[in-house]
Amino acid sequence: MGAILSISTTTVGEAIRRRVLLVILMIGVLLISIVPALSVLSARSDLTTTISSMLFVLRIVSVLIAIVLTVYMIPNEIERRTIYTILSKPVQRWQFLVGKYLGAVLALGLMIGLMAGVMLILFYFFKHPPMERMLDLLRQAILYFIEVSLLAAVAIFFSTFVTPLVNFFLSAGVWGVGSLLNPLYDSFANNQGSAPIIRGMAKFVTSILPNFSNYDVKNPIINPGVTIQNETTYYLGTAGYGLLYITILIIAGILIFDRREV
Amino acid sequence: MRRKNTKTTLLGVLALAFVGQFAVSQGYLLGFWRKNYSPGGIVANNLDPSQLALSLFGFREFLAGMLWVRADSFFDQGNYDAVLPIIRLCTILDPKQIDVYATGMWHIGYNFTDEEQRSDRRYIPSALALGKEGARQNPNTYEMFFETGWMWYHKVDDDYGQAVKWFEEAAKREDILPARRNLLWSAYQKAGRPDESLNYLYDLYDRAKGRLKDDQQFGNRQQYDTIENNLDTMLVRMVQRGWVAQHSEEGKKNNWYANGAYDTKPPFDVGFSAKVTVLSDRVLRVEGTWNVLPVGTRIRIVLRDADYPQAKMAELDWDSSDSVNLDPPRNLTFMQDQLFVRNRHFNRKIDMSKDPTMYPFIAKNYLVEFYYNPRSAPPHIQDKFGFNGEGFTDKNFLRTDVRETIQFKPAKFDDHKFPIEFEQIPLKDIPQRVMYTTLSLTQEQIRRKGEWSDKTPVVKTVNYVESTDSKDKDDVIYIPNLRVSGTGDAKAPAEAPKK
Amino acid sequence: MASEPPQGGVLPLGAAIETRQLTKTYKSRALGKINVVDHLDLQVEEGEIFGFLGPNGAGKTTTIKMLLGIIYPSAGEGYVLGREIGDMDVHRVISYLPERPYYYEHMTGMEILKFYGALFGINDKDKFQRLLEKVNLAGDATKTISQYSKGMQQRIGLAQSLLNDPKLLFLDEPTGGLDPIAHTEIRDLILQFRDEGRTVFISSHELSEVERICDRVAIINKGKIERQGRLEDLLRGGRIEVIADGLNQGFADTVRAPESTVSFHNGRLIVDMSEEGDVNGLLDGIRDAKGQIISVVPRRRRLEDLFIETISEKKSGGEAA
Repeated sequence: MGAILSISTTTVGEAIRRRVLLVILMIGVLLISIVPALSVLSARSDLTTTISSMLFVLRIVSVLIAIVLTVYMIPNEIERRTIYTILSKPVQRWQFLVGKYLGAVLALGLMIGLMAGVMLILFYFFKHPPMERMLDLLRQAILYFIEVSLLAAVAIFFSTFVTPLVNFFLSAGVWGVGSLLNPLYDSFANNQGSAPIIRGMAKFVTSILPNFSNYDVKNPIINPGVTIQNETTYYLGTAGYGLLYITILIIAGILIFDRREV
Repeated sequence: MRRKNTKTTLLGVLALAFVGQFAVSQGYLLGFWRKNYSPGGIVANNLDPSQLALSLFGFREFLAGMLWVRADSFFDQGNYDAVLPIIRLCTILDPKQIDVYATGMWHIGYNFTDEEQRSDRRYIPSALALGKEGARQNPNTYEMFFETGWMWYHKVDDDYGQAVKWFEEAAKREDILPARRNLLWSAYQKAGRPDESLNYLYDLYDRAKGRLKDDQQFGNRQQYDTIENNLDTMLVRMVQRGWVAQHSEEGKKNNWYANGAYDTKPPFDVGFSAKVTVLSDRVLRVEGTWNVLPVGTRIRIVLRDADYPQAKMAELDWDSSDSVNLDPPRNLTFMQDQLFVRNRHFNRKIDMSKDPTMYPFIAKNYLVEFYYNPRSAPPHIQDKFGFNGEGFTDKNFLRTDVRETIQFKPAKFDDHKFPIEFEQIPLKDIPQRVMYTTLSLTQEQIRRKGEWSDKTPVVKTVNYVESTDSKDKDDVIYIPNLRVSGTGDAKAPAEAPKK
Repeated sequence: MASEPPQGGVLPLGAAIETRQLTKTYKSRALGKINVVDHLDLQVEEGEIFGFLGPNGAGKTTTIKMLLGIIYPSAGEGYVLGREIGDMDVHRVISYLPERPYYYEHMTGMEILKFYGALFGINDKDKFQRLLEKVNLAGDATKTISQYSKGMQQRIGLAQSLLNDPKLLFLDEPTGGLDPIAHTEIRDLILQFRDEGRTVFISSHELSEVERICDRVAIINKGKIERQGRLEDLLRGGRIEVIADGLNQGFADTVRAPESTVSFHNGRLIVDMSEEGDVNGLLDGIRDAKGQIISVVPRRRRLEDLFIETISEKKSGGEAA
């Protein structure tokens, strides 16, 4: 446990110093900061536009950071040979992988936390929203954090056997498809005209790929007034789902990484 | 060895986690998400791939905002056709943008007109469908319910039961603005239900009084005055038009209406007659008589394919569509206009020749429909015709089978206790007395082709009498005084009982 | 460390490393299967400094990685401190300094030691301080690695490799890319390790360094061990140079032999011959021919000679085949 902790804190220290990540993070914060000015887009749905644009920026920037941070994590260690000094110590490969992953999650938490903090502060000062909406926003930010933690697990998994560039597109692709799953499934399920085979496919894909769209719950946040029953259970459910899927990916990653020539 | 064991354990955990995620995802999350977070109405084939990608990744509202800004510039340029798909896109992307629904509905319903400012009514089912969708998507706010009701009340200006239904739903939403409640009393009245109208006015009156008590601001004072005034007028009319005599328990018992002198007695014969002359290709002259002197009568004329699929008598089945179709049936013709009566005559040239796309005249046979519903009449005429046309008749063309009085009752409710299905209850004891008649024309006649290329087609109602007199004279038909003096004892109570 | 020997065989006491037919095969699309390490039999005794020599690409680093369990052998077996390679317990008592290592640049020297210490579960500030003093970095403990020179980075690498008091150290090109002063410092440290009773396995292609400190060496080329043994034994069999004056061409022609180089010019004869050759016979012959012996100089073999000999033999042998 000490080794895992040590590796993960070192990973955080490195991640928050990576220039490319800091640049993306700065852009994210900047974009979030100019959002309150964007409300001219729609004078009457001012709050809607503000919230939706802020969450838009938060999500896309978090996803980008998660992918860029994670795809290089293992390959960099190999390329710079730090992995040799670490693996020649009494550190198992799975400990290394888990430590790296936890480090990525911690770093993502810090970065998303920063952006979400800026978002909440700006939102509060420019729009004077009721506390409930602030909490709604915070909840969505936390769900996005779980989402990118899952995405980081996807990227770590791929990084045990593909190059960073391929991984970048693979992970982005998986996220892309994964965040379409619910809307697609929904639209197939609603559309009785679609062929059963396509609906079956939709069902199959939905049950295989990590479902990132579970974490997009901003509809009622943007358009409040709907009371959703047992929302807390849903949030716990998504967190549990995320944990299970992360477990799958990390174990699969360990099994591959364990036989990997580094 | 140990390695192998570990591997087996890991594979076991992996399999368990996989089953677990499947169970959580399929068993719970998917259903919950679809119920509560689904944007709904994602119609993939309306978006190009980049828009689809953006929208499905959850940035729909953002995209919708940008598109709506773009639509605005098209509005400014008057490029209405370009606005249509954007409106549809915006509502698909962000079904919570009520502005887009409301503006879009108004745009589709009102803005597509011909050279003579007649709306293209083939679009109206789509406009109403957009309104219905907007209301479904935004069930917590009154706006789309009100807007949809307004479309029925003002644009369709018929089937007022529908306006009542939507205004009633709007009034149930907590966020409705006080002034937006007012229209419902008028809708009740036009729907032939003055008793409900009166009750609703009392309700409005109580609310206005309460608000005024809380806050003496000008707006509240004004609202109070308006409602008080409306209430007074309504009471007077209910008495004058004999409604109280006819419908109150006491009135029924004592035969007040039969014995009393009421403005609506006896029913007044409007003596409708009409002649349609095809002046040239797609140009008609419509003239005829309507024996009502006071200004304010508008007789509906419809010219349509004889076998127009959604056609009912003197209207389309406006409520026929639940899906928004931006492409109206371009091979069908449906023209609707009003004949304005002056000096008990109407004489109107209807020129459809400049809008061949709106009036394609592809089918062989056409129907010219004339329709008058006293419920649409302005109050000063309704004083004679009554709320329900009981003071109205036409010795040739009075019909009571053209329109039913329908009351909509919520039948099925959604999770938020809002009705999603309505039961239609025909109120048989409130028949709608309307004037309705038809004439037939063929395509060749309207287009002045074939044998009609050098012959002027003329069709007329059997009672049409050619007059050589100047149409400006008002001596064509005997003009009875609209205020017929009563014969019985006018003993109606001064105020109608509040239910 | 558990005392019970692992399954798979016990080594004779005293062997720090032993490999039997250890092989690593890579598949390449262009070249097919290549044995990067080819049936390697290696034996390293405890307490010695072992030089693992070979040109670049000979398979040195691959061998070390296999011994450390970072990569897996394709065939054969290997034992490190009596355990099968890859045994995690062994990792507690060995250590590895890779070639031109990289350390997280944002960390200070002290933080590096803390980080690697944590991997062993060691959190002993005094120990870290002692190690920094040992590698002469005590004054630079709070500088980040990015401010370290190459030599300093190599020394912090040595310090981290000593964190666990290793019985066996793997040093991959420990002096690679360093200036001469840094060379000396590192060399002194390595000698010190031996004095402390540690086994040191040095992989290098810098022969003069190795020659100065190693007890035994193995020369590897193209994945195969060409020579292996005590340095003295391997370098035995030097040359002797005999110079004489006052001789004629006829005599010079009589002394030519396959193992000798003979030059004759203006009556001066220079013969470079094997130590094992008949030196006395040659000297007698010169005297008989009335020649004057100017000098007889034995020349000891150097590791470089052995190395070049081995590699070029292999080359020509390979070409002949």
